[in-house]
Amino acid sequence: MDTITTKLSSEEIFNLMKQFITEVIGEEFVEEMDITPESSFTKDLEMDSIEIVSFSEKIKAHFGDQIDFTGWLSSMDLDQLINLNLGMIISYIEECQ
Amino acid sequence: MPVVTVNGRSVHIQELNKEAAETIVLVHGMFSNLSVYYFNIAPLLATKYHVVLYDLKSHGMSEKALTGYDLTSMTNDLLALLEALNLQQIHLGGYSFGGLIALKMAIRFPERISKLAVIEAPDPNDDKTRGIIDEYSREFLEHYVENFTDTTKVKMGKRQMERNHRMYEYLFYQTSIKTDMEFEKNFFGSPAIETIKQPALLLYGTDSNCLNAGKHLEGLIENASLSAVPGDHNIPIQQPLVIAEALLNFFQEK
Repeated sequence: MDTITTKLSSEEIFNLMKQFITEVIGEEFVEEMDITPESSFTKDLEMDSIEIVSFSEKIKAHFGDQIDFTGWLSSMDLDQLINLNLGMIISYIEECQ
Repeated sequence: MPVVTVNGRSVHIQELNKEAAETIVLVHGMFSNLSVYYFNIAPLLATKYHVVLYDLKSHGMSEKALTGYDLTSMTNDLLALLEALNLQQIHLGGYSFGGLIALKMAIRFPERISKLAVIEAPDPNDDKTRGIIDEYSREFLEHYVENFTDTTKVKMGKRQMERNHRMYEYLFYQTSIKTDMEFEKNFFGSPAIETIKQPALLLYGTDSNCLNAGKHLEGLIENASLSAVPGDHNIPIQQPLVIAEALLNFFQEK
């Protein structure tokens, strides 16, 4: 995937995140879910830690050095990670762009 | 996803801070994967070191394998990984079953290992931990359903249940993991353990049923020091920063 240079809107980031989630957990599961910016990774999307690793990899591959996603995650404690939702990631990416 | 081919199978790896002069390789435990280190422990170590994480065979996102779960095979895999990454000498850390792999590595390839960190490695012959696999086979799923997944503290949903169940079924009923572990029963009793000369840090939980294994190892390994931190067998998940700082201090000591 190419490293992007233009800024994405929050809706574009949301759609991109949805695409990554679909790639990680599979279309058949995503179809049953209503993914919104409020969706939490662990509770709503039921992603486990190795799936979040895959998801982080996709963000890294897409945005390159623009975004230190793993560094951002590593600053969170367990409770923050559990409550992490899509909206928080979208805001973080928007800030970094 | 970064993948290297090791002994004919694809292995999922993650590397942080590749530019650093010295390398730390971390090995996860059974039923787990490299994510046990990825979020907190590895990033802190990567402030000073090149950190390499990898998924053991049939774990995480590495390729499955029906055989080769004994410590000799597991260390053959690790050696091949070091070759593939062109790493001559490393610091090595391992958690639980990964701790046993780290110990075996220090025995077999001492010239490759500078310092050794062992977190919660069980004594394969200890009454309480010998049946760690049987215990898992009885309680693994129940525990996971009733309690939490390893790092997320959240009840598993249907999809996660099925995923974990599939891994468990595969490892226990299709691979040689049970017999391979049985074969390692006398690992702590073998004279080879006492040949380990590297500085070794043994990190155990104060409430862990493996703590005695740590004490045992401290007596067997000349340059080992045991450090007990609050928690049980799951200390890397319960206390990631405490573990990360203990590892960083240990690897940095001159």
